[in-house]
Amino acid sequence: MNKHKPKIILTIFSVIVGIFIATQIKMKLETFTPVTIKSLQATKAEITSLNNEISELNRILKAKEEELTLLENIAKGDDNILDILSEDIRYNKLYSGQISLKGPGIVISMYDNPEERSYGFDLNDDLIHDVDILNILNDLKVAGAEAISVNGERVLSTSEIKCAGPTIRINGRSTATPFVIKAIGDPKLLYASVNAPGTYGDILKIYNIGFETTVEDIVYIPAYRGAFNYRFAKPLGEDD
Amino acid sequence: MIKLFFALIGILIGIVIGFIMPYTYNTSYSLYISVAILACLDSVFGGIRSNLEKNFNINIFISGFFGNAVLAAFLAYLGDKLGVPLYYAAIFTFGGRLFENFAKIRRIILFRKKETD
Repeated sequence: MNKHKPKIILTIFSVIVGIFIATQIKMKLETFTPVTIKSLQATKAEITSLNNEISELNRILKAKEEELTLLENIAKGDDNILDILSEDIRYNKLYSGQISLKGPGIVISMYDNPEERSYGFDLNDDLIHDVDILNILNDLKVAGAEAISVNGERVLSTSEIKCAGPTIRINGRSTATPFVIKAIGDPKLLYASVNAPGTYGDILKIYNIGFETTVEDIVYIPAYRGAFNYRFAKPLGEDD
Repeated sequence: MIKLFFALIGILIGIVIGFIMPYTYNTSYSLYISVAILACLDSVFGGIRSNLEKNFNINIFISGFFGNAVLAAFLAYLGDKLGVPLYYAAIFTFGGRLFENFAKIRRIILFRKKETD
């Protein structure tokens, strides 16, 4: 008896352990992972982005619903289709840059180094290049510029800025220094985007390149004068 | 040979019983219970070892079984309250001892076999 006693007791207690283990398994627990600040932030970022996505989708849904009611009204004959179509044309022209615009913004005038003495050994350092204009334009776009023109040429998504010797070609037209860049947008933001320390416009001043920015209440930006003509691109989904 | 696996058989029986039984406990206790299970397992292994070494003491075994489990669960609870994962102490101690006990059991069993051969 005494010899078997330990084994019996051990077996009994093993049964107890087994019961606990089984109960634990039965609960189908999710694995515990320690919550770190990093994971907290990651989850937070995920939630924010999801929320943004949701609100964006809601916005689209609302717009589509409005469109639907509009179309229904047309079908019922409440609205005149011509009015709606001309409204559409205006909208499309506006966003394709075929309408002159005005609004608050900034005017930048850039010119080559006006001093007689060259800045450095390389004459190129004294001149404005296509890259300079491109960088300034990009800074303005980053700052939320809604419409931009360079020397009276509207800058669109297809507009090229091409170096052509002493001149620069924009929209197929040559222009020369001084370059007047106009942009409509939040004037403070636009001004800061080209004048804040470390921006491209600020660096240009080091090279003695003329760079003057003025904030204006009303900036006029002309319409795009060219015509759109796609030779290669075709809308998706249209077979021919 | 089967005599050596009575603990394993006991655990298996316990698992079967546990699955059949309808009782569960609150999910928030699961961490404490799992640490306590580790402590109990360590006690059982220690019991097997001492049984093989023929110096099994029932009082030491039972007090260790419950005492270790309660202490481990308490450590986990305290760690939760203090914001420091104190249950690591229990995991490392009992986990380490588990393997230590198992190593000794292995040696005892293997050497005993040799003697009988």
